[in-house]
Amino acid sequence: MTLLEVDQLSVTYTPRDQPAVRAVRDVSFTISDGEFVGLLGESGCGKSTLGNALLRLLSPPARIIGGRVLFDGADLATLHTRQLRELRWTNLSTVFQSSMNSLNPVIRIREQFADTFAAHRVTDNVDTRAAELMELVSLDRRVLRAFPHELSGGMKQRVALALALALRPKLVLLDEPTTGLDVVVQRSILDRLAELRQELGFAVLFISHDLGTVLQMADRVLVMYAGEIVENRPAAELRSDPRHPYTRGLLGSYADPRQPEVRITSIPGRTPDLSVSHPGCLFAPRCPYAEDACTQTHPALLPDHGGLVRCLVAQADRLPTTPPGPLTGATVDPAFVATGGAEVASISPGIADAAGTSSAGAAGARSPNAGSGSLSAADTDEATGAGETAAILVVHDVHKRYTTRKGLRTNTVTAISGVSLALHRGRVTALVGQSGSGKTTIARLITGIERPTTGEVRFNGGGDGDGDPTRVDRLRGRALRDYRRHVQMVFQDPFAALNPTRTVAYALSRPLVNYGGLRGGAARDRAAELLESVGLFPAGQFLDKLPHQLSGGQRQRVVTARALAPDPAVLIADEPISMLDVSIRAEILELLADLVRTRRLAMLYITHDLLSARLLADEVLVLNRGELVESGPTAEVIGAPRNDYTKLLLDSIPRL
Amino acid sequence: MAYFARRFAFFLATLWAAVTLNFLIPRLQPGDPAEAIVSRIGGKGQAVDPAQLEAVRTMLGAPGGNLFEQYVRYLGAVFSGDFGVSYSYFPYSVTHMIGEALPWTLVLVGVTQILSFVIGTLLGTWAAYRRNTRVDSVITLGSTFVGTLPFFWIALLLIYVFAITLRWFPERGGYGGGSSPGWNWLFISDAFQHSVLPGLALLITGPIGWIIGMRNNMVQSLGEDHARLAVARGLPERRIAITYGARIAILPNVTGFAIALGSILGGTVLVETVFNYPGMGRLLLESVSNKDFPLMQAIFLFTTIGVLIANFLADILYGFLDPRVRKAENS
Repeated sequence: MTLLEVDQLSVTYTPRDQPAVRAVRDVSFTISDGEFVGLLGESGCGKSTLGNALLRLLSPPARIIGGRVLFDGADLATLHTRQLRELRWTNLSTVFQSSMNSLNPVIRIREQFADTFAAHRVTDNVDTRAAELMELVSLDRRVLRAFPHELSGGMKQRVALALALALRPKLVLLDEPTTGLDVVVQRSILDRLAELRQELGFAVLFISHDLGTVLQMADRVLVMYAGEIVENRPAAELRSDPRHPYTRGLLGSYADPRQPEVRITSIPGRTPDLSVSHPGCLFAPRCPYAEDACTQTHPALLPDHGGLVRCLVAQADRLPTTPPGPLTGATVDPAFVATGGAEVASISPGIADAAGTSSAGAAGARSPNAGSGSLSAADTDEATGAGETAAILVVHDVHKRYTTRKGLRTNTVTAISGVSLALHRGRVTALVGQSGSGKTTIARLITGIERPTTGEVRFNGGGDGDGDPTRVDRLRGRALRDYRRHVQMVFQDPFAALNPTRTVAYALSRPLVNYGGLRGGAARDRAAELLESVGLFPAGQFLDKLPHQLSGGQRQRVVTARALAPDPAVLIADEPISMLDVSIRAEILELLADLVRTRRLAMLYITHDLLSARLLADEVLVLNRGELVESGPTAEVIGAPRNDYTKLLLDSIPRL
Repeated sequence: MAYFARRFAFFLATLWAAVTLNFLIPRLQPGDPAEAIVSRIGGKGQAVDPAQLEAVRTMLGAPGGNLFEQYVRYLGAVFSGDFGVSYSYFPYSVTHMIGEALPWTLVLVGVTQILSFVIGTLLGTWAAYRRNTRVDSVITLGSTFVGTLPFFWIALLLIYVFAITLRWFPERGGYGGGSSPGWNWLFISDAFQHSVLPGLALLITGPIGWIIGMRNNMVQSLGEDHARLAVARGLPERRIAITYGARIAILPNVTGFAIALGSILGGTVLVETVFNYPGMGRLLLESVSNKDFPLMQAIFLFTTIGVLIANFLADILYGFLDPRVRKAENS
């Protein structure tokens, strides 16, 4: 039986002084009793706006401009506030993304349950009911007496889930419920959610950008692009035979790192500007299968292969039947396709190494903006022998303890204990671990921002290998500054890593002026070369842009170009793709792989994401609570993990 | 509990530092206060008679002994409330002068500060509760407008309208000629009459900061996820406004309020001058213009102690209001 029926729902943002943006466009779908529906989309596609519209939590300038949200016959979109309040939580509850802020910080957890019961005139004993709910989400009942800040992120999200189930709702809307949590915690919460749904039988609308999780958890998946539902089909069918080109692209950007051959692709281009009207299909400019009609006629969401699909080509049954292979762009040069094809043909289990990214090398030669990219990790016959070259940077038995002082008491926290690693030119070493495992601390020790408590960090010369290694842990002042030109960082958040008030040319000129001694025109010319080396063509178009005028991927390219400016020997990339949309991650990984190869950089790739580690790295180091628990060639560590923690990390990845 | 103990220890340490600084600063200055007095009594250009100097020293109780002995005696004097003799109100002691002025300021400024905070917080809460409506616009724009007016201008306007034109209230002073200070009805009603205009002037400008601060904090906390989740949970609007909005928004204002209360002891120079009100602010102004060092020093010390006590109380209160603070200090 239909529980929720969304009919032609549209939401518009009408900010002052700016054109109105139609964020949700004529969205229609239904959810049946007890059904688990996934809503999949990238950032900015309108999925959270849709979720908020269903809950009627939109605040100005966002407004529902049309459509109905029928829940058990009542239209939530137009219902009077008082009646709506009665329906809320008893019928439809929610868990928000941010576990940090979804609980009131100044009252105890128990009070937040008491509030909920009181609002809906539940007369049962609050403590008994709340304690039962705590049990449901596998939390100790003592948590009820705590304040939110006393709980970890995972515990808070469990409390939020318990709160959502407090009144036994028929539908629970989960908006990225585990994003930002560690994979292991994420896994345990999702597993518990699946069990609870079996027990209690509520329906779920699961909003996420995480393709693996959605495909694994959901019965049916809605794919959203630019405010529209573009595909609505059962999860199993969507996975085996995606019909919308965008869905194909998304599936192509995801892979299971445990597979013997791993390959991901990216979708070229960027999402359309929703403040102007588009006559044709919104995905057409990025679509490899687009036909003339696609730019003229806006496709409708029509029945197709056991679901609904919004694509003229699919509806006419003219889609090539190659899923879920790489999404090959219309502008891709034939050589690249050939390389890619050859590689797919040579699948066999084995050890991935730097040469395994040869397709990326070929792709990097053209503008990654113009066409789609592809990155794969597979064995090749080419042995690099990188292991034999001398390490350019050595971290030897490093410990780092932080001491905090409160009055006379001191508190020591060990961030790193006994870590040793070596970086080689032309090789990527991945440092994998959960948040708090000490990954970033190692980066800070290598860049000389912090000193190890004990142990050594040695750097072997700036290219010419002039005798004695530099002791990074002892550098000060000018020597430290000189050292830093050899070790550069690519940061996690490309939005925060660039000064929003300065142009790209300025950002790039800083290291050129500071380390290269270039001035004025020379610095500008060099900046342009750097931009082209990271695939931003033509550079002139980008030099005078401000960061907010660039897309996330372009910004990350600028950050990378800036890191390359002093011509470093070592590049430290700290989660460089975790803030980027999944459809462009492959592009950035490909760029990094290409730079390592062509510039013979030594790269330390810090990540919690085993898929990207598998694709990019030659060697993987697994870090747990500041200790290295496993290390070795990527395919060995990921293919046949020996350590329990590594196994736990791998088991947390959804299996498709 | 450790939180409160630590706050108290911190309070004692700062108090000691403030008292000690107050002792050191005048002694690090060049010149002899007795000479300054003698030359002022005698007029410029006259030679200073050593006998006169000695007499003044004795009169002032000028310190002898080394710096440490002086310090010990000073500490004893401070704790027994003995700040010496005022130069400009000789032979009254500094303690006496402050004792005369302090009640006026405490009552007038203390009451208006508390009222300002209460009014400001309520209006700010109301504006945030009805955000983006006409009520909000009237309160926000109104307080912004009043906030741009100079305080003395408002005070003079009040005097002109209510004292000079309408003759409803006296224009200056703390009490009239017909009454004398004491616990009698005539004096109390007379003092109240005199306090209306300065009190009103303070009440017009006082709440503005609290209104704007409260409104903005509360709009922000109501926009946060926990408040949106409270809406989704179907909680009554009023419960959300108070527990999920005002309860959190008031936290930074509590600190501000405590500091404002602390600075009462220093008086409000402007209002007491405009209304010729016999409080601490006017006393401070006179002590400065008369170079009455003992009096100045005592007023500064009082102000410092007042701010310190207020901060201490704010910390204690904050510890109760915001569980996060207690925890952060303990872990």
